[in-house]
Amino acid sequence: MRLARTAADNQQREWPSGAEIARLVVTLVVATLLQTTVAPNIRILGANPDFALIIVVCVALLKGSEIGAVFGFLTGTLVAIALMEPLGLSAFVFVLVGFLAGRYAETADLSAGYAPLVSAFAATLLADVLLAMAQFLLAREVPLGFFLGRVLVPSLVLNTLLAAPLYLVVRLWLRGAGDLRVARAR
Amino acid sequence: MAVLLLLCVAMLTLYFRESDSGFVHGTQSVVLRVVAPLQNGTARATKPFRDAWNWTGDLFSAKSENAQLRQELEQLRAGVAKELTTQDENAQLRALVALKNDNIFPVNAQLVTARVVARSTTAWYSTVTIDVGTGSGVEVYDPVVNGAGLVGRVTKVDANAAQVTLITDQQSFVDAMVQPGGAQGILSGSVTGDVTLQYVDKNERVKVGQYVVTSGRQGSVFVRGIPVGQIESVGSQDVELYQSISLDPFVDFRKLDLVQVVVR
Repeated sequence: MRLARTAADNQQREWPSGAEIARLVVTLVVATLLQTTVAPNIRILGANPDFALIIVVCVALLKGSEIGAVFGFLTGTLVAIALMEPLGLSAFVFVLVGFLAGRYAETADLSAGYAPLVSAFAATLLADVLLAMAQFLLAREVPLGFFLGRVLVPSLVLNTLLAAPLYLVVRLWLRGAGDLRVARAR
Repeated sequence: MAVLLLLCVAMLTLYFRESDSGFVHGTQSVVLRVVAPLQNGTARATKPFRDAWNWTGDLFSAKSENAQLRQELEQLRAGVAKELTTQDENAQLRALVALKNDNIFPVNAQLVTARVVARSTTAWYSTVTIDVGTGSGVEVYDPVVNGAGLVGRVTKVDANAAQVTLITDQQSFVDAMVQPGGAQGILSGSVTGDVTLQYVDKNERVKVGQYVVTSGRQGSVFVRGIPVGQIESVGSQDVELYQSISLDPFVDFRKLDLVQVVVR
């Protein structure tokens, strides 16, 4: 994966249309509501699903690094506002996740179909480690055993499993059914 | 991306450095006024699904709970007879000393009913957001209870929403005492969600199964006598000054829905 942006990349950059922005705004609101009101009540394999993180990854894979980073920033900020948590922390993590997932989509071959799973796995790893480090810096207790056994591993498994169905839904919503038919025909 | 990351760091820095009336807190408050009704609507709309999900989960644990409950029932039957006698004695004593009706909450306290509309999903925070705020008279530090007992306290408040830090949060500390006996300690949450009663002197006699309530000492935000939980285990080591007491809270924090804020 190349992190640096080339001149060709810049030429190919396309900003979303009004309709696309509207769809992204709806996705943003749905992601926030899913994360704050639905996810806390669902516990599978010992973890709560991180809908917001997975949706940021999906949007970044479909729309690229720049939109991914902006979408991540807005999602992180909105989730923090909804939960009355410190502003900037989730946004920081989601910007990185959105940008890196977008760069992965821009530089790697996604035809194999496992890109959402790989990206969700890597994003969860990055997000969990960064959030744990932030808690440590904020002088909160971060036991290593608890972090590995009860936070990281369950959320890695759950988020990776949820990535595929969520990716399909987000892709259908952002690109329409025609895009899936074209992909299947290839 | 660099600009966005810098913006995040700036927001984070401002958030911790400024007062509650500062720019970042103000912006958060304005946006929250739009988001809170949406959260409320979603929480109501998804409640049947949440209930169904919880019911499925409960079904699996019901079998093992059944045997435990039968054992508890036998103990409770014996306890009820004792309790009735105690109640009778208690009523007589009250009449004798002409005590006022022993309400847990102060006469001037009001209970504001609220619904939990959101909660933190990270393991690091045990907080929930409720749909009442300063508009209903809620203030920071107000205790929050439900039918089972103490839920937590208000840590942030906005016009129509408030953040409640649960007693399971690692930064929650509540002055509490063991009943009967009156051994006092500090109730503390943890990152694992376990609740422990700390700083109880080793010489105090504390047993498994005793109840823990808030002690309401002078200066405490909690009034005296709010039920918190039942003692699950008691341990002490020779080298330690205090006992290690773990608690099973009365409140089921997974299923929090309606709560009451004690507004003074």
